[in-house]
Amino acid sequence: MTRPVSPLSESRVRTITARALREQRSGLVGWASGLVLFCLVMLAVYPTIHGNASFSDLINAYPEPLRKIFQLDDYTTGAGYLRTEVFSFVLPLLLTLFAVLWGSDLVAGEEERRTVDLLLAAPVSRARVVRDKWLSLLIGVTALAVAMEIILGVIGPLFELHVGWRGLSAAIVGSWLFALAFGTLGLAVGAATGRRGLARGVTTSLVLASYLVATLATLVSWLRPVRNLSLWQHTMGIDPLGTGFHVERLALVAVVTGLFLLWAIWAYDRRDLAT
Amino acid sequence: MLQTAPQQSSAPTHEPVVRLEGVTKLYRGGGGVRDLTLTIDPGEIFGFLGPNGAGKTTTIRLLLDLIRPSQGSIHVFGLDVRRDSVAIRRRVGYLPGDLALYERLSARDVLGHLAHLRGDVTWTEVLDLADRLALDLQRPIRTLSRGNRQKVGIVAALMGRPDLLVLDEPTSGLDPLIQRQVHELLRAAAKEGRTVLLSSHILSEVAEVADRIGLIRAGALATVERVADLRQRAAHLIDVRYDHEPDREALLRLPGVQRCVVSGHEAHLEVAGDLRGAVGAIAASDMTDLSVREPTLEELFLAFYDHDPSR
Repeated sequence: MTRPVSPLSESRVRTITARALREQRSGLVGWASGLVLFCLVMLAVYPTIHGNASFSDLINAYPEPLRKIFQLDDYTTGAGYLRTEVFSFVLPLLLTLFAVLWGSDLVAGEEERRTVDLLLAAPVSRARVVRDKWLSLLIGVTALAVAMEIILGVIGPLFELHVGWRGLSAAIVGSWLFALAFGTLGLAVGAATGRRGLARGVTTSLVLASYLVATLATLVSWLRPVRNLSLWQHTMGIDPLGTGFHVERLALVAVVTGLFLLWAIWAYDRRDLAT
Repeated sequence: MLQTAPQQSSAPTHEPVVRLEGVTKLYRGGGGVRDLTLTIDPGEIFGFLGPNGAGKTTTIRLLLDLIRPSQGSIHVFGLDVRRDSVAIRRRVGYLPGDLALYERLSARDVLGHLAHLRGDVTWTEVLDLADRLALDLQRPIRTLSRGNRQKVGIVAALMGRPDLLVLDEPTSGLDPLIQRQVHELLRAAAKEGRTVLLSSHILSEVAEVADRIGLIRAGALATVERVADLRQRAAHLIDVRYDHEPDREALLRLPGVQRCVVSGHEAHLEVAGDLRGAVGAIAASDMTDLSVREPTLEELFLAFYDHDPSR
């Protein structure tokens, strides 16, 4: 570029990524508050359950399938409690819902709100638009995941809840990657169709399918062969809290996420954009 | 057609800034453009005129590579509009017809963001433009009136002094004073050798600034006219009233009469050049009333357009 962009320090919003984050600011704050509150409530309840034998008896009386679905083994220990109450579905699925809602809006929303003409009047390629928007998704989801890690890892011990950093980090990374994968898919469907609602619907359905296939496969034998198609299986289905990082499975999900992103770029670039 | 007006600029050696050749883009629900061929030369202000839904916006969005033609080729600055889209847009300022802005940001942040993406904009330039258009940059977009939003869009299009300005209905929603400012900015841009393509559905507005006007109707370019030629053609209109039905053929034979429309007992004549022959002959005939006036630009343009056999 010839002339410098001076003095633009007046403007707080420069890049596409920065604007996407700025526009989602209240959403990010809201979701972060909700997730933090949820974790705090769960932590606050833990001391009454910790080491309480009557809870163990109660849970042992539950039917086997229920115990499997909600991963109720060693419920009264810190790791077991977190596995059931936080990581069996609530935290990963909430994080994913946030990623899907936002991801679906990132590219398609710009088209539905008709601001895409203004954006693409600037000398930026469509590939860059998709990439920069995805970067904001990456930053947002990562920020929420880091917040959860800090709350559970730092505040947890204050409520007598001790889990190793390794297991906790593995579970957080699993949730983060699962959310990021489907957030990226939402972005891609939105980029390919320009329709935010469609992207949200399709992607949310696939999230639930992914979760259900992996979870029910523990009970239903005929589902077992297909459960490896579920991203849930590779991120949360292998009990990261108890068994730690499964690098090759995480790498697989990361590759799938990358493919979603490439698809988004390819599909967005070849399409007529709506007014 | 009455006359075949020269459609090319006097400097054919220049690569045209915009060149559309046989461009077709149709939509399922109707609309779009069909086999459109058009060139716009450096330094000219080209007015794109047509009713809503005629294909103006489609053509403009094709130029910006927001949509792709099903047939034909589009070049801007001699570059392919699809392959070199980013390089082209580096030199183009665009105001969308259906302007939407980032509601959650302030005008300043919207312009700062777009200026950053353009890369070659100085903030003083933005402030100058905002000042000329009386735009308050501090206010959030969602609190701005339609006219003020339009100003934000115009500043965004003009900043960075792009070589080609593509403005879709630029003055819609603006009060007349600001409209004049915008027209002045466009004239100044053309004077610097920059090129302007502006669309409108109002002829008088286009004619005020444009050098040439292209009329688009139902997706096809009906005619392209120099505004100067338009103004020269048929210098006067003569309205004559009779107490019987006038003889159209006889009127057409009068000196200088180019067109004659008869309706009831009235005849409307378009006369070029010296009026005396025609007026003298009519005055000597059995007419009951006679008036001579200068036609409005609308009448000239539409008169011309009426003769288009494709209509």
